[in-house]
Amino acid sequence: MIKLTSDQLDQFITSLAEMWEVRLPILLSDGTRIIGSLKDGPLALLGGAILSKPTAAFFPQHGTVFIATEDGVPESTDSLQPIFILGFTPRDLACLRFIDRFFADGFCDDLYFHQRKSAVVAGISGYCGPYGSLLAPAGGDCDLEFFWEGSSWLVIPYSSAGKALVAEFTDSAPPEAENRYRQAVMTPPDENERFLRRASELLRGNSVPDSFWVEIGDRCIACTGCNLACPTCTCFGVQDWRSAKRVERSRMWDSCQLDGFMREASGHNPLGSEAERSRRRIHHKLAADPEKWGEISCFLCGRCDAVCPTGIGIIAVARELVTRFG
Amino acid sequence: MKRTLTVCPYCGVGCTFYLVSDKGRLVGVEPSATHPVSRGGLCVKGWNAYAFVHHPDRLTTPLVRRDGLLCPASWDEALNLVIEKLQAIQAKHGRDAVMFASSAKATNEENFLLMKLARAVFGTNNIDHCARLCHSSTVTGLAETFGSGAMTNSISCLDQTEVILVIGSNTTEQHPLIGSRILNAVRNGVRLIVADNRRIRLARHAELHLRHKNGSDVALLNGIMHVIISEGLTDRDFIAARTENYDALAKSVAEWTPERSADATGLKADEIIATARLFAGAERAMIVYSMGITQHSHGVDNVRCIASLAMLTGNVGRTGTGVNPLRGQNNVQGGCDMGALPDLYSGYQKVSDQKIRDKFARAWGVDELPESPGLPLTRAMDAASAGHLQGMFIMGENPMLSDPDQGHARKVLENLELLVVQDIFLTETAALADIVLPAACYAEKEGTFTNTERRVQRLHKAVAPPGTARADWEIICDLAERAGYPGMRYNNTAEIMNEAAALTPIYGGITDDRLDQHGLQWPCPDSSHPGTPILHLDHFTRGRGRFSPVTHRLPAELPDEQYPFVLTTGRTYFHWHTGSMTRRTHLLHREEPRSFIELHPDDAARIGVRDRDKLLVISRRGQVHTEARVTAMVIPGVVFMPFHFAEGAANALTNNILDPESSIPEFKVCAVSVEKLL
Ligand code: SF4
Ligand code: SF4
Ligand code: SF4
Repeated sequence: MIKLTSDQLDQFITSLAEMWEVRLPILLSDGTRIIGSLKDGPLALLGGAILSKPTAAFFPQHGTVFIATEDGVPESTDSLQPIFILGFTPRDLACLRFIDRFFADGFCDDLYFHQRKSAVVAGISGYCGPYGSLLAPAGGDCDLEFFWEGSSWLVIPYSSAGKALVAEFTDSAPPEAENRYRQAVMTPPDENERFLRRASELLRGNSVPDSFWVEIGDRCIACTGCNLACPTCTCFGVQDWRSAKRVERSRMWDSCQLDGFMREASGHNPLGSEAERSRRRIHHKLAADPEKWGEISCFLCGRCDAVCPTGIGIIAVARELVTRFG
Repeated sequence: MKRTLTVCPYCGVGCTFYLVSDKGRLVGVEPSATHPVSRGGLCVKGWNAYAFVHHPDRLTTPLVRRDGLLCPASWDEALNLVIEKLQAIQAKHGRDAVMFASSAKATNEENFLLMKLARAVFGTNNIDHCARLCHSSTVTGLAETFGSGAMTNSISCLDQTEVILVIGSNTTEQHPLIGSRILNAVRNGVRLIVADNRRIRLARHAELHLRHKNGSDVALLNGIMHVIISEGLTDRDFIAARTENYDALAKSVAEWTPERSADATGLKADEIIATARLFAGAERAMIVYSMGITQHSHGVDNVRCIASLAMLTGNVGRTGTGVNPLRGQNNVQGGCDMGALPDLYSGYQKVSDQKIRDKFARAWGVDELPESPGLPLTRAMDAASAGHLQGMFIMGENPMLSDPDQGHARKVLENLELLVVQDIFLTETAALADIVLPAACYAEKEGTFTNTERRVQRLHKAVAPPGTARADWEIICDLAERAGYPGMRYNNTAEIMNEAAALTPIYGGITDDRLDQHGLQWPCPDSSHPGTPILHLDHFTRGRGRFSPVTHRLPAELPDEQYPFVLTTGRTYFHWHTGSMTRRTHLLHREEPRSFIELHPDDAARIGVRDRDKLLVISRRGQVHTEARVTAMVIPGVVFMPFHFAEGAANALTNNILDPESSIPEFKVCAVSVEKLL
């Protein structure tokens, strides 16, 4: 385990810029933290998850699929600079693992893996959550992890790419620090995790009446934020922009909270009410995905609860559901 | 990847977000985590606000009509032609033969400059903007009763009140991040009254949902006030200390017994009594209203009643109270503040006041400024058809879809000697123009917008405008220069704001460098002033609040045998006004791809119409094709249509009858017939 002071971390980050396009948590003028470049704001590693999902680096809100002109579809000549991205919390890393698998399943989504393949992903954990709270280490799911133990960083490389990056450093972490790390790994699941698992059981056992979803649906203003903010939401829409002698096809994040998401050309809609759509949003993550992928696809990153203007993110709904039905 | 903090270009809530761009192209939106209004969230329009910006339909070069066709032209040619023609019209027909339409989508700086161009360079007060169509009734009604025609309180007050009365506002759809705040407030125990006969989302959460007849708001509010007075629920101390003319109000509502009010509104007397008791019984109660109040031939009267109800119960000048008109457009508050109005300079300073005129004339280096108020936008069409108006310069508005009685509007616009349109897309109006000037959109320029709670906020340039398009303010300055006026040279928008602030007491302390973070709420008279979240704290802007009693007048056109339905118009959640941006945004367009009309199931059954049937809707002004949406959202006898759609345009049907004081058209009530197309 490597120990770095904040200054050493700064130097390390600076040294990466030559090879990599470095993206990491920074603070912007109005106090918002985002994952961006140090050119745009000071480093802001402490504070927990970033409001905007870090997986956008590989699956952006809007991305070009192709541009066709009279001469066909020209190959992209952009030389790709690989990304070094720091700022995934352990929960974000679980989300990333989930969508890595999703985008590779069956056929490989080239657009997603275009940047993803060559990227180095660094996790962040330790006592750097909101108000110094603990983010239990991921212990994997990334190339290397940065663990804030209160006054310095412990760096734990996992993949060969991660190891290569920190090869120059010697294992310097004192035993107390390593201990703190080990204790952190043992952190028991938090309350929200228990609520989520119980909610999943209730849904799979069909114990939640439709009237509950009518209530939740009545509170949904269809802002789509819960989907757009969610690192494991992968649905997208496709549009073509046509102008004289040119077609630009792009894809953009879509949302199952929209009526048009499932509406058929006839006008019929299998998800034609807010209640059905709200049920689907939760059900998909807690009941359908476990069937297909063997795990709940919500990793409690907290974003949908943070962006939902009416307080019906998944954690709020799971709590309400468990409180009322079991 | 670059992040640029800016302000949402859609509604007056004024959420801020970061535009994400990559190599000069926008690729998404990230909400601001700290903004006091949006608090990390956005509505669907905000989340998609990046998506129309690079649309291939964007105007990229000036266009000049040659042999009937709009052809690309150079800026020199187009701008010289604009000046030459405007001057020629003025020389021939007088100064007031031209009119400038400003825009609630443009920045404060641009609104200020266009009114300066009209007044200082072209010597006319013929300047107005679409506030005329939305809240002119508020500006008139609240100026008379309170002395200031703006939202009295702040959005955060919704968290600190006990009772909210929402009247004539579909808040979760039209001001979504205020609507969501109301939903949250109700979850936390706030009691909600919704007065709107559509079954809007808020109604599902309301303790009382009053589905009164369209256009019967005065009867409803007078009835409520009658009960409050007769049951002794008034705030006597407030009335005595802070208001005047109470006796006249008491006398005028004396005849509005709950039974009479019930009769006029179609409600039950009990509902009116319950509303009065709930509202007046609260220590702190807020009134939230919007177009359902203002867009009537008696819109100003509606606003007067609202003001009276608030004063009667002492609900002004404190946290969690107030009269809260929600301003529609992102910058309609600013458009008014900056004096894009025919009778007012910036800061609501009257053009009829010699001292004020002198002040502006001195600052602008002109000998004199025109004295008589100009034309309101809604009277421009009639003035033009009477031959008084020959040239129009329209910046960022689309009256072909947004004005009432489209057939009339088209005829007038086509017959103008000169129509110049400055916009980002070739709108239905721009398509009729003689000269089209391509403008930068919100993501491509600097400046400020003022939201509904009077919060002045900065936008920032994220990407370059397409082709040779230029920011509205740059175009206006260039026009002034070509007209031979040297007083409009600015290096940046901050310099324009400095000039506006110096001339506008309520903006006196507003400078760009103070607006970073989360802006400032006016009045902000000097550079150390922290801004004003709540108006009329110790006294009203006009001194004492004035009760203005009103008599109930019916809407101008009511259903009859030939036109048996009341048509009320409005917007949908997914589109913005005439759709020039949202209909070019994939997800938003997918949600509402075409014109529709809401029809109650009983009415539908009676005339043999099923959901999604094609319909013909006819009024005395015109007819349109649209699609049936059979829903209990509306009450029997009333149909609702949004005005976004050029094909199936609601405003081909509406009635261009105006409120005599505010000149707002009666968009909310006209009579139509509905037929099934076979
Ligand atoms: S907490 Fe919400 S945003 Fe995060 S993974 Fe779960 S569902 Fe998605
Ligand atoms: S974030 Fe909340 S309001 Fe928005 S779509 Fe999701 S559940 Fe609905
Ligand atoms: S609520 Fe209004 S300001 Fe906020 S994101 Fe939606 S349209 Fe934009």
